[in-house]
Amino acid sequence: MTEEKQKQIFKFWLNKHKALFFKVVHAYAYTAMDKDDLFQEITMQVWHSIPAFREESAVTTWLYRISLNTAIKWTKKEQKHNRAETLDQVEHLLQENQKHIDERLSWLYREIYRLNEIDRSITLLLLDNFSYREISGILGISESNVGVKITRIKKQLITKSKKTDYHGI
Amino acid sequence: MEFDEMKKIWDSQNNTALYTINEDALHNRILSKKNKVYHITNISELLVIIIFFFTGCFTLGINSTHQNGGIHTHLLAAWMFGTSLFVLINRLLRISKTKQFDRSLSGDLANAISIATYQVRFSRLMRWNIVPIALLTILGVWGNGKSIWIISGIIAFSALTYYAGGWEHGIYEAKKRELETLRDKLENEFAEI
Repeated sequence: MTEEKQKQIFKFWLNKHKALFFKVVHAYAYTAMDKDDLFQEITMQVWHSIPAFREESAVTTWLYRISLNTAIKWTKKEQKHNRAETLDQVEHLLQENQKHIDERLSWLYREIYRLNEIDRSITLLLLDNFSYREISGILGISESNVGVKITRIKKQLITKSKKTDYHGI
Repeated sequence: MEFDEMKKIWDSQNNTALYTINEDALHNRILSKKNKVYHITNISELLVIIIFFFTGCFTLGINSTHQNGGIHTHLLAAWMFGTSLFVLINRLLRISKTKQFDRSLSGDLANAISIATYQVRFSRLMRWNIVPIALLTILGVWGNGKSIWIISGIIAFSALTYYAGGWEHGIYEAKKRELETLRDKLENEFAEI
């Protein structure tokens, strides 16, 4: 694949699937600095992955696989290395568009963020209509395991939503 | 709330822009990357110019005083001076090229990519430069009748330097790719959010 072709695909994917990247970034990184960092890491991995894409799966499935794997690895790495930089020392690339965010959506992201790395991935994929089989393929865990985890996650989120009257849920 | 309702809330975000890009922060980030690349290139060039010049002088001096170096040691000294001069000329050309870029966000990024591209080419050339230097050194030492152990040591050291040069070259290539990815994002994504 030529570099020009790779660049074209990268631009197209970045534009068409930006919501996907932001969802993963939002679910895995909490501070603005971490969001910048993870966003950068994911886009780098997507760029490198383009020559390996064989169209055997849908683009969204492929991008979710890359993004989630990167996010999971990034989370583990971040847990090991605490940054010395304080948050107010850096200017952030991504600025949250506060006026457009539904309060209930913020709550949902907070709850997803509280889950462990794998459950976060499962929840994102489930909310984006991926089947059990697809989730199993992307995350490399068995379909029955996915089913068990989904039942538990759904129950947990529903229970928590009932306790959270403040958000109107 | 049931899970289906959560899904509806989740889907609603697909129609809104959740983020905007802080252009000042982006420009500062590009400047920081540019300065880092510029600093590395500047130091590498100066080191090569100084080290090769003085090593050339030293080789020539030793050869003149001991009268036992032979043609290969003279060639080695000439190669050292040549490398030093070559890097000096390239440095001057690079610096004059920097003035072509404007101080806009994309101008600074294009400048950073240009310096990174230069650094990648420079590190590749310096890596290959190890081969003739090692060859001339070995021939010079061989001509002086030194032991096989000294020659083996020179070969091992040259191989190690060549390997380390490859590792260093990989770092510069990664930095260049990082900047190019940033340019692609800038051209596309950031303009549209």
